[in-house]
Amino acid sequence: MKNKIKHKVKYLVLLILVGVSNACTDLDETLYNQLNKNNFYNNKVEVMQAALRPFTHMQAWMAPTGQNGYYYHGEMSADQLAWPQKGRHGYDGGDHFRLHYHTWTANEGRMRSAWSLIWTGVGFINSALMDLEGLDYGKLGINDTEKNAIIAELRVLRAFHYMKMMELWGNIPIATKVGEPLNPETQPRAEVFNFVKTELETFVPQLLPYSQALIGRVSATAGYAMLAELYINAQYFTGTPMWDQAIQACDKIISGQAGGLNGAPKLATNLTSTFSNTNKTADEALFQFAFSRKGGFTFGWGGFFMGYDNLKEALNVDYGGWNAFVVIPSAFDAYKENDLRKKEWFLFGPQYKYGTTTPVMGTEEWSGKPFVLVNSIRRESEGDLTSTGDMSKGEENSGARFHKYKSGIISDPNYQENHYILYRLTEIYFIKAEALMRKNNGVATQEAVDLINASKKRAFSASDWETEKYTPATLTLDELLAEKGREFIFEGKRRADIIRFGRFTKGTWWDHKPTNDPNKEIFAIPHTQLAANPNLKQNPGYEPVN
Amino acid sequence: MIKKSPFRCFILSFVALLLALSEVQAQSRTVGGKVTDEADGSPVPGVTVTVKNTTQATQTNESGQFSISVGSENTVLVFSFLGYESREVRVGNQSAINVTLTSKDAALNEVVVVGYGTMKRREVTSAVSTVKAKDFNPGGARSPLDLIQGKVAGLIITRTQGNNPNSSAAVQMRGVSSINGTRTPLIVIDGIPGGNLDLLQQDDIESFDVLKDGSAAAIYGTRANAGVILITTKKGKEGESRFDYSTYAQREYVDRKPEYLTASDFRSLISQGLINSSQDFGSSTDLYDELINKTNTSQYHNLSATGGTAKSNYRAAVYFNDANGIAKQNGRKQFGGRINVNQRGFQDRLTFQANLAANFNKANLLGGQTGDFEQAVQRNPTAPLVNADGTFVETQAYNNYNPLSRLAHRISERDQQTISADAKLDYKIIEGLNINTFVSYVRDNYNDRYYRSTRDWDQRLNTSYRGMAYASKSNRLDYTRTLESTLNYTKTINEKHSVTGLLGYSYQYYTVENFNVNNNGFTTDGFLDWNLRAGGAIENTALPRPDMGSSKEDNTLVAFFGRVNYSFANKYFAQAILRREGSSRFGANHKWGNFPAFSVGWQLGEEEFIKNIAAISNLKLRVGYGVTGNQGIPNYQSIVTLGTGGVYPQGGVYYQTYGPGRNPNPDLRWEQKQEINVGLDFGLLDNRITGSLDVYNRNTKDLLSSYNAQQPPFVTSSIFTNVGSIRNRGIELQLSAQALRKGEFVWNIDFTGNTQHNKLTKLSNEIFKANFLEFYGLPSPGNLGNAIRLEEGGAVGNFYGKRFAGFTEDGKWLFYNAKGEQVRANQINNNDLTVIGNGVPKLHLALNNTFIYKNFDLSIFLRGKFGFDILNTKELYFGNKKWLPNNLLKSAITTHDQLNDDPQYSDYYVEKGDFVKLDNLTLGYNAPIKDKRYVRNLRVFVTGRNLFTFTGYSGIDPELEDTGFSTGVDGRGFYPRTKSMTIGLNLGF
Repeated sequence: MKNKIKHKVKYLVLLILVGVSNACTDLDETLYNQLNKNNFYNNKVEVMQAALRPFTHMQAWMAPTGQNGYYYHGEMSADQLAWPQKGRHGYDGGDHFRLHYHTWTANEGRMRSAWSLIWTGVGFINSALMDLEGLDYGKLGINDTEKNAIIAELRVLRAFHYMKMMELWGNIPIATKVGEPLNPETQPRAEVFNFVKTELETFVPQLLPYSQALIGRVSATAGYAMLAELYINAQYFTGTPMWDQAIQACDKIISGQAGGLNGAPKLATNLTSTFSNTNKTADEALFQFAFSRKGGFTFGWGGFFMGYDNLKEALNVDYGGWNAFVVIPSAFDAYKENDLRKKEWFLFGPQYKYGTTTPVMGTEEWSGKPFVLVNSIRRESEGDLTSTGDMSKGEENSGARFHKYKSGIISDPNYQENHYILYRLTEIYFIKAEALMRKNNGVATQEAVDLINASKKRAFSASDWETEKYTPATLTLDELLAEKGREFIFEGKRRADIIRFGRFTKGTWWDHKPTNDPNKEIFAIPHTQLAANPNLKQNPGYEPVN
Repeated sequence: MIKKSPFRCFILSFVALLLALSEVQAQSRTVGGKVTDEADGSPVPGVTVTVKNTTQATQTNESGQFSISVGSENTVLVFSFLGYESREVRVGNQSAINVTLTSKDAALNEVVVVGYGTMKRREVTSAVSTVKAKDFNPGGARSPLDLIQGKVAGLIITRTQGNNPNSSAAVQMRGVSSINGTRTPLIVIDGIPGGNLDLLQQDDIESFDVLKDGSAAAIYGTRANAGVILITTKKGKEGESRFDYSTYAQREYVDRKPEYLTASDFRSLISQGLINSSQDFGSSTDLYDELINKTNTSQYHNLSATGGTAKSNYRAAVYFNDANGIAKQNGRKQFGGRINVNQRGFQDRLTFQANLAANFNKANLLGGQTGDFEQAVQRNPTAPLVNADGTFVETQAYNNYNPLSRLAHRISERDQQTISADAKLDYKIIEGLNINTFVSYVRDNYNDRYYRSTRDWDQRLNTSYRGMAYASKSNRLDYTRTLESTLNYTKTINEKHSVTGLLGYSYQYYTVENFNVNNNGFTTDGFLDWNLRAGGAIENTALPRPDMGSSKEDNTLVAFFGRVNYSFANKYFAQAILRREGSSRFGANHKWGNFPAFSVGWQLGEEEFIKNIAAISNLKLRVGYGVTGNQGIPNYQSIVTLGTGGVYPQGGVYYQTYGPGRNPNPDLRWEQKQEINVGLDFGLLDNRITGSLDVYNRNTKDLLSSYNAQQPPFVTSSIFTNVGSIRNRGIELQLSAQALRKGEFVWNIDFTGNTQHNKLTKLSNEIFKANFLEFYGLPSPGNLGNAIRLEEGGAVGNFYGKRFAGFTEDGKWLFYNAKGEQVRANQINNNDLTVIGNGVPKLHLALNNTFIYKNFDLSIFLRGKFGFDILNTKELYFGNKKWLPNNLLKSAITTHDQLNDDPQYSDYYVEKGDFVKLDNLTLGYNAPIKDKRYVRNLRVFVTGRNLFTFTGYSGIDPELEDTGFSTGVDGRGFYPRTKSMTIGLNLGF
């Protein structure tokens, strides 16, 4: 009897064990609305979908779309734009003050975001490159030329990321793989420069010429523009000038060898078409983010550049903003009154409801009164009409505002179809002219004068032109910088330019006093990253680890 | 105008019922009755019943019945029996005197649910608290956990949304135990891990058993870090068929209103020149009052039927609940039921139990939004709310909208169905050995509908919607399948050694599916959201694009577990637990973990050296150590997947892009908590004072969170990994005292108190380092940063910011920088910030006094929290003249009048939060029933809740979120705190 019971128990235990052995201990995860890499890369479209991921990410830090990336830090620390406190708005922990005053520390939340954003971009590229290595291109219907072009495009794009990071932080690690090594070491700026130079020089020649089929992609025009930018800054970065290389890179573009959207790139004949909502095929475009509202990828500059709801009424658009960036008075004053750009590219003066003469009203300091944008950053509502003001004294209507890119009104068929232009032909003219002048001991040649006049001419009426155009005598290097500032305002180029010209730490503008501290030409490595990676070194002049 | 509200009808019928019942009563000289055991209701034979101060006596028979003749109404009967507390009862005019006697050992024989079984209180060796139905907080409970708020030391239940019927309580046990993992206790309803609280009505619950320490909770291994709450519902019972009906009606009243400027205050500031005269819009309004539903009424009905034989019995209950909050369009209607069937057969070897529960509810989610009440404080009180033509007035100042317009022109509703079914089959193989199989299925499904009409402000002509309406619908479905099988063995050897063993297997599969779709461009409001295709946005690309989405996730949890209990001579007890559990959520290298626990108990009260101390009637020492885990993280965190990255053109066509969605971590593993608990259960002065004291120290290591990843080489900025540890220490005291028992007057006191201190001991390991984590981003304007910082070595809940150093002569802020100098705000950088307060209460106390006199009972429940600070953001923003032209709190021109600067976050706005609340005051009356053929028992009660708050805090309520990490912040938006009044009836027949 006892035995019988024992047997019963045995069987039961056995039964339980069998029941739970196989299926019931399976802990693999099943994916539903996410993709496993093993099920991807089945055709050319999928390969390109992975290769283009870095592009949609890059706009977050390169374009003025509201994130704390390269654009924000570059413009806020330079001499044209500021984000002053406007009454109860915009103090933001003093972040914008410190950028304006160059008093940032290694402990800045926005700088942590910038580091992370740009390196995530590098990560997307490294990840795509690693995945692309193992593919059987034949099966996917991709020939060798196409394959090499894809890889060249990604490597050039990665070099561009490194060039921009070298500009922000100087000394950074170089990583070409995801996940290894775990703690990459900081490389001196010269090493980073060499890496960028080698990558660009190797892969730019393999890029396809720019064409309408490649809108928004890194093509030969983009590649040579990057090289031109690298070469013009080479002296600053390494002490060794590369003026001739800069000129050669520019010529590749100017000559049309690198392709273009409508044949060889041409200068725009007006001030608006390059930035309009039909600028998709702008004559000048060399590299652009292919935004499209209809496509589902809108260029949203509202955050930084739009005001509150009252400005929506003035422009008849449906996007508002944070009333953030304003033009520093000295930068607005840099335009002569007859400079057509001063009207075309800015919102200024009294604002009216779109298409009417009904004034738009203020909502803060000027609540209930007509809203008039003024060229000052001071408490005018409290009677201060004379001081130079300061970063803490802005009001809702302080400073001229961005109107370079125009979305069109809400019923425009191309409403918000604007692309964001990263490189345009005018900049190549400026780089070439600067290289020619620097080669010539800073004195303008006629060729340099012609290059600058070619774009400046758009900004003046025919009757003013004779008195406004440059001559070899009037086009000094300082004047070239000033004109570049006027032409490229809002385009995210200013910080690099004034560093190259030695103005960044020595210049005075509006509420900014010079620090005369060369260490400020590069930012601090964010302290969270120093804590995470022991092989990172802090830049000189900043506290090592907080 | 008199309106016949349902509330009024309810009260009238109630009063009528009372009158009718009082008629039934009459006089008698011979009284009889039944004596039962309070613990289980069984009859107690042999009880001596004496007429006080005489020798006249009798004894109860086998069924506990007695009969005795008495002289007058003032006669007092004394009931005494060995091992029981004696009781005196005044005869009064009753003829039937039913008495329950309390065993002196009752506390030790109380049944405690411990997970996969029960134990007697005497045998429990770990920290387990039990709250039975009779001790629940009286009144109407918005959620089941409200019933035990303040009843279990160390279990913190906070209603951060006041009495909003569409909100649940925040729950936390013994302090915060995880950063990103689950921080709320595992709820187990009748053995279903992860049971759904919506399925419980207050009258269906028999008891809560709370497994507090690791040595108790380890049996639930990977989900037990935050503690386990076991809920047992009422079950079928043998005996005569019974009906029980419970009902209540409840109304909420605004407790305290923020002190904002009225229209006339506002105008007087205009006349003083402080506010621009253009800001007088000519009306006098009070938006706050407009948002309040002054006639809000909630009602609840629950009817249950119980009956059957010892071998097969049942309980079935149905309920209806219409809950309405203090705000307009803020209600929830629900109905459902719960059925329990039990049967024993096959020569009593086979036991079957099945439960089926369902809840159907419809919630109006439109009203009661915290943002609406923010508007009520800061909207210009001179601005009209409604235009003459009936349209709503939208003021154009910063951060303004008109909530009345939203209430009028929008729909936001949820229609939810939750069901749960389980069955348990238990087979006795031989005496002492049982095999048990349990299966359950819980399914929760809801459909949300949302609509903004053509007349809604957000849809107006001058927006991208061009004056047309917007509609969306979404659907969510989740279900859990559980299979658990156990072998139980019990054996007593030589009457001294008692062993019980348990072996088990558990499998649980969970999945959730989501679907949502929206469209706009509706030219008519005729369809609402019922004809999505009619929206023009599908064709008209100028309109915002219609959108849709769907997703599905699942996970699996598998465990093998065992438990052994040993006791010697009913004096020495030991328990060992091991659970080996695997979760699909973890990395390939760490799917499985082991969770052991060991605990011992010593019934000191049985030892001679204690027995000699007269004052001590019971004493037990418990020591336990247990390891538990936490797997409450999102799915798929350990593997790399490709996620969408937005569209980019390929040859002019915009295709989606794909890139890595996260940094993979094949080493992702359990969060692990090790806890030591030392406890003492005691009974003093003849068990008139009983209680337990527990001291614990818990270390949770390998905290699961997103940490800063090294970039490069990682792709995204964070990696989900196990870094850091957190330590919680505390003392918990639970006391019950019979303060007075004299004649028919009884006074009982129940007390719970706990201290809790925590520290983030580590926030880094060799590979991943985080300097700090931040919480509670302060709202616009000014983007004042995060208010709370968690630093390595620091406490949880530290406010981190500037130190106030005074004002300049013109009212500008001065703050101390790191060097201690007074500087203006624009000279402060991040290195000048420091810890300026802490929002986590260090001490929680609750005290309940129950007074019973004759048929009346009164309970007074006080609850308090101490040792914490509150950041008053209402003052920070609204108590500052710079908030103009929006409305201000009065403090802007009184307390903070000197201030003439933009808002800044500093310790200037950090206040002490300590408070005591008169949380629950209940008066009940048990009607004496002579003839029990029709009505067995009848009780009526009135309850007032949140009646009074004693505090120095200046805001409207110092009881704020105090669980998790965003603690102690009094937000700008809020749900009004209410006093609630309940009148209720329990009827047994």
